[in-house]
Amino acid sequence: MALDQLDSVSASRDDPSNPSRRRLLAGLLTAYTASLIPWALAQPAPSAERGAFTALSAILVGRQALDAAQATRLYDALATVHPRFPADARALLALINERHIDPLQLQGVLDDEQSPLAPLPRSIMRAWTLGVVGSGADAHCVAYETALDAVMVADVLKPPTYAYGTYGSWSSKPV
Amino acid sequence: MSGQLSADIVVIGAGIVGALAAERLARQGASVLILEAGPRLERARIVVAFRNSAFKGNWMAPYPPSPWAPHPIYVPKDNGYLVQAGPYPYPAEYIRAVGGTTWHWAAQAWRLVPNDVRIKSLYGVGVDWPLSYEELDPWYQEAEEILGVAGADNTGSPRLKPFPMEPVAEPWAMRRFRERLAPAYPVVANTVARNSRSYGGRPACVGNNSCQPICPINAQYLGINAVEAAETAGAKVVANAVAHRIEHDAKGRIAAVHYYDPDKGTHRVTGKTFILAANGIESPKLLLLSASDKYPDGLANSSGMVGRHLMDHPSTSLTFYADEELWLGRGPQSPSSINTLRDGAFRSRHAAYRLDFTNISQVLNVTNDLIKEGVYGPEFEKQLRWRAAHQVSVKNVLEVLPNPDNRITLSTEKDALGIPKPEAHYAIDDYTRQGAEVSKADFARIAELMGGTGLRYSADGQFANNQHITGTMSMGNDPATSVVDAFGRSHDHENLFICGTGVMPTAATMNSTLTAIALALRTAEHIMPAKTAHGIAAPADGEASLA
Amino acid sequence: MNASTRCLPLLALLGLLVSASANATDPATDAALLQRGQYLATAGDCVACHTAPGGKPYAGGLAVPTPIGNIIATNITPSKTAGIGNYTKQQFSDAVRKGIRADGKHLYPAMPYTAYAQVTDADVQALYAYFMHGVAPVERKPPPTRLPFPFNFRWYMAVWNGLFLDRKPFTPDPGKSADWNRGAYLVRGLTHCSTCHTPRNLLMAEESSRELAGGAAGPWLAPNITADANSGIGGWSEADLVAYMKLGHAAGRAQAAGPMAEAVDNSLQYLSTSDLQAIAIYLKAVPARHDPADTQPIDSWGAAFDGMAGQRGTALPDDANQWSGAQLYDAHCATCHQAKGEGSFDGGLPPLFHNTATGRTDADNLVLVILEGIRWTDASGVHMPGFAHELSDRQVATLANYLTQHYGNPSAKISAEQVKLLRAGGAPSYLVALARWAMAVVALLVLVIVVLWVRRRRRRTSPAQG
Repeated sequence: MALDQLDSVSASRDDPSNPSRRRLLAGLLTAYTASLIPWALAQPAPSAERGAFTALSAILVGRQALDAAQATRLYDALATVHPRFPADARALLALINERHIDPLQLQGVLDDEQSPLAPLPRSIMRAWTLGVVGSGADAHCVAYETALDAVMVADVLKPPTYAYGTYGSWSSKPV
Repeated sequence: MSGQLSADIVVIGAGIVGALAAERLARQGASVLILEAGPRLERARIVVAFRNSAFKGNWMAPYPPSPWAPHPIYVPKDNGYLVQAGPYPYPAEYIRAVGGTTWHWAAQAWRLVPNDVRIKSLYGVGVDWPLSYEELDPWYQEAEEILGVAGADNTGSPRLKPFPMEPVAEPWAMRRFRERLAPAYPVVANTVARNSRSYGGRPACVGNNSCQPICPINAQYLGINAVEAAETAGAKVVANAVAHRIEHDAKGRIAAVHYYDPDKGTHRVTGKTFILAANGIESPKLLLLSASDKYPDGLANSSGMVGRHLMDHPSTSLTFYADEELWLGRGPQSPSSINTLRDGAFRSRHAAYRLDFTNISQVLNVTNDLIKEGVYGPEFEKQLRWRAAHQVSVKNVLEVLPNPDNRITLSTEKDALGIPKPEAHYAIDDYTRQGAEVSKADFARIAELMGGTGLRYSADGQFANNQHITGTMSMGNDPATSVVDAFGRSHDHENLFICGTGVMPTAATMNSTLTAIALALRTAEHIMPAKTAHGIAAPADGEASLA
Repeated sequence: MNASTRCLPLLALLGLLVSASANATDPATDAALLQRGQYLATAGDCVACHTAPGGKPYAGGLAVPTPIGNIIATNITPSKTAGIGNYTKQQFSDAVRKGIRADGKHLYPAMPYTAYAQVTDADVQALYAYFMHGVAPVERKPPPTRLPFPFNFRWYMAVWNGLFLDRKPFTPDPGKSADWNRGAYLVRGLTHCSTCHTPRNLLMAEESSRELAGGAAGPWLAPNITADANSGIGGWSEADLVAYMKLGHAAGRAQAAGPMAEAVDNSLQYLSTSDLQAIAIYLKAVPARHDPADTQPIDSWGAAFDGMAGQRGTALPDDANQWSGAQLYDAHCATCHQAKGEGSFDGGLPPLFHNTATGRTDADNLVLVILEGIRWTDASGVHMPGFAHELSDRQVATLANYLTQHYGNPSAKISAEQVKLLRAGGAPSYLVALARWAMAVVALLVLVIVVLWVRRRRRRTSPAQG
């Protein structure tokens, strides 16, 4: 189902406001990737590129929900920093779709094959988990409190600079 | 247009040391002017700059250097301000701004242990200080009361009067270290300039876990508090004033300080007494820059020792996973340590050290590790939570002996104002390396007692820098081998005093700020005895200031 | 000052007096009586007005601002030259319950004798014993009160008292529980809640028909604490009320700030749990007074909201007056109140939504707490820093509007002018000017009447002209 539909999707232009063009993530996935992120099947995919990014994000970060507004922000930031990003995202999703690559094996496979897509998973992970896009002197922050590294431990820790609680509250055993 | 300012006392450097000396003197009625190379900063902006930073692990990120008063930056790339001549890097970090480097300290406010001042007599290494621990004790006390130091009497440093505050509440993780390492290693609360109750009109700690790079709520004492106190006492601060030459008269008395403003306009400031407190690198740099026909090797340098005996506290560390959930990151960053290895007969053979436990949240480190390892999918969150809960770290804080070849000189490279940059010549000798080697056994034992797995020692031969710039203008009784006397007065210039960690002739094993402050208060007393007691600690009426 | 430091002079005096007298009924050595007197003085919060900032306890000197000028609290230590050392028990009782001093002059009702009129004879006796024998004498007399004309004539108070003072001490209502009666006795009497929380008429007397429906303490709103579910504390449990009085906050509802924080800090936190429960029981039965503007409970507004997420990474403008509400929140508030306004894990750094601080239609208290913070006199010290020095009027207004819009009642709008007024201590009172104009008008009328009467008399006595 997926590959020829992906081609037709890619031929369409971005038009999230047009109901006739409204498409869901499910349309971009094979049975394999759909099985990895079943919760995301009903997520909107305004374009093939944005949809691919959302699907990849869901697969890589392994969460049961992703904030749609945050996904839009991160996509925009990544696309600004890496001009090839949208195309690369689609290519990587296609790769995973086609070859049923387990997320834990993904980086190893890309590195072994010296794939030009090898930096991509790290870029996406850094954006979601650290809230940082770009590298070296061009790195910039796009999220902090909503970065997933903070969210994933939010029941136990507040991110640095945020108060833990009234004086002495840190002496208790963490629940 | 070049302006002319004048004051009884001219202080160069508005860090915690210069500001507290200035405050004490201004309170006695002296007119005091403090020149600071860098700008004024605002705490709230620093907090937001940190949250907006792409380099959260780099504590200098919220403190960008100003073009006219640069300070060393290494991330994302080395700005080349502190030139490294080697053989070993000395990547010091400091902040040239009103308030100085303590904007981003962890408030560890340690005293020496008594034998630290006599390691030459006792152990045949290093040098003896020209004063005793007993002479310093009351100055430590005054410093602790001004800052508001919280601690208990179990760290090896005797005291005549109690701490102003009880120790800061112990984080759960540190309690488990204390319980499980006893009796082999007594883990104690660090003596810190951090409020365990409201003190000095400032709130108690609420566990922001960001002491470095910034305490958002002023629960820890910073240089900016000292500057505000000095200004309240009547001192005047001139920011963005880059001192580049100290002028002397025909007799060798200091007559004036010349500074540039950011547009390289020149200004001359006259005074009766001068206090140089610009940190252990910038102060010797200024003395060397002030060379003249009469003093071709720079001011205060008849001994040739200005800039020499550069020291720090190098660190090596062990990171491992404890066998229980500890969750570092709850509470202040530096709560506890082991202080029983700071002294002993072994000091004739190898360096002493403290052992510091970090309570800095491990989330950032662990996330970086997981991405590097390519851990994606649902496993990422599982691993993040498990590692963030279990990962802990212990590091040593090693003594470095004074070596005249370790030094700060003037580089041939120049900064934007045309002033020669400082150049660091540094090496770590066998004395210290042997101490690091010995400490590995302690690391291993600590990990064993915590059921540690996944042990990762820092790379052999690699030492982290701790920003305790000491030794470069050492105090001593002999003008041939020291730069200042026991009161910080230059042997060569009667009206020039030097305050800061740079006058400490040995580094010992503890963070040096409190000792530098104690010495500076003693220097201020020597310049002008105090008639009124410090009132900084008394909570003033009115609201707490966060500025 | 907390209870233990206040006990120190008491204990010292006891130590001296034990040797001096062996008479067990002598009030000077009756420890139980003195302790009771101290407890009652704490409940009455005498120390709050009768102690100057940084001054000795009960030595007076604090200038209490009122719409008719500053009233200087007197020295009520047992000093014979500067305080009440010569007062008999009757004189003490008259001062406290009738507002008449030993020299016969009237006290202004800034001294809440209108409330203390309820205090029983037995409690007056204990208070008298405490103030005579349990408080250290201070030999400094504070300056006298000088109110502007025409309010400098104390005999007006005799008229005012005649109109408004209920002189009867408290009598229990047999139809109500013992707890309710204890609560009524405290609330209407020593803890004098109505002096702030009950609205006043034009002559500044409490409107007893609108008990606890809301009043003022300086520029601070003393809110409606009747049992109304929306406007008052109707939705609060007794435990909520007790916690508020004991700790200074009710989790997930409200925090005491300004003069109420002082009341908790100096007085309420030291009351026994049973007394606090009695007060709570009484309050929950006060007839509900509803303000139609309150369409839902004031502690039910708002929700978690992160206004910074969308601009994380954007540098702050150089000009701080250009900062948006979210940027101000990021810089000054988020640290404690957290990124979504949700507060700390333990709730001790409270959430900003579902909080009366942001839920009122009148946002004056919100502005004041941003400016002044919350600071207690005990070791807990700074509960919240004040931002008056750091934030301009415009920034406070921007921030306050951001808070009410996202975390509270969005109909509460704040202007920079309003902030400026509050910073200066509130709207100035025109009572003095009004009184003077009124007197001028009356004088003019009297003059006109006299002139007319004189002319009429002249017409009568002189024969009609031709």
